[in-house]
Amino acid sequence: MSIDLHTAPIGATIAEWTYGPIRREDLRRYSEASGDSNPLHLDPEFARQAGFADVIVHGMFGMALLGRLIEDHIVKQGLLRFRARFRKVIEIDQAIVCRARLASRAHGIADLSLEALTPGNAVLIDASATIELIVAGNQ
Amino acid sequence: MPIDRKHIGFSLPPFTVLVDRDQLRRFAEAIGNSVHSDFAPPTYLKVIEGENDSSRAVVAALGIDLRRVMHVEQEFEYGAPIRGGDQVTVERRVVDIYDRKDGALEFVVVESAMRNADGVSVGRSRQWILVRNEIRMAPA
Repeated sequence: MSIDLHTAPIGATIAEWTYGPIRREDLRRYSEASGDSNPLHLDPEFARQAGFADVIVHGMFGMALLGRLIEDHIVKQGLLRFRARFRKVIEIDQAIVCRARLASRAHGIADLSLEALTPGNAVLIDASATIELIVAGNQ
Repeated sequence: MPIDRKHIGFSLPPFTVLVDRDQLRRFAEAIGNSVHSDFAPPTYLKVIEGENDSSRAVVAALGIDLRRVMHVEQEFEYGAPIRGGDQVTVERRVVDIYDRKDGALEFVVVESAMRNADGVSVGRSRQWILVRNEIRMAPA
């Protein structure tokens, strides 16, 4: 998908992508690759002690998927800032819908509003990203 | 038990990370990306700052029970791009501790500044950790 952030209307959905479902095995792979060894994502007994029914998906796994939405579907370069709030626990064995809207555009800077959602549209992560438009490859 | 506010300003000794190409590839694969790039993806700053077991070290230094911890918010600011083979020096610091709901919820804000071998900023990370003092723990 190719998006022209210079001309897209403000408020428009500019990219959407669904990933998963995320399985237990994916959490092991993400833990190993990211160095995040928190047992909350690996050990069901630890997760129960922490008050959850089962292991949960790393919030950073979800944010990484939103990062892929930006890099694979919107822009390769020019990312200045990226912020995420982890709203709800991401349960395993469910798909994640990643969506981006153009929130504002001024003075060569675009702000994106991003969400990671369950297939039933519950917000798991809300995020924002700031992109510099005048960068080779973003025009 | 509340986290002692004396820990605001606590910093870990700086450490240097070699950005490993093989680990970059494994990270990309772990998030389902089979297109290999030599550049670090946006959230890879979190991987770099977490090297040296530094996240565990912060939690331990503040005396926090890991079972009560949730990562609730994360922000990155970007500098020069990071490629496989780069050396990145990380400085991590606790910049704030505050509570809500009469202390039932405590928040710890940890910042990292990261520089490459030329001393150029490759990014900053700010992480909000929630410590859930209110939850009743099941017996271990």
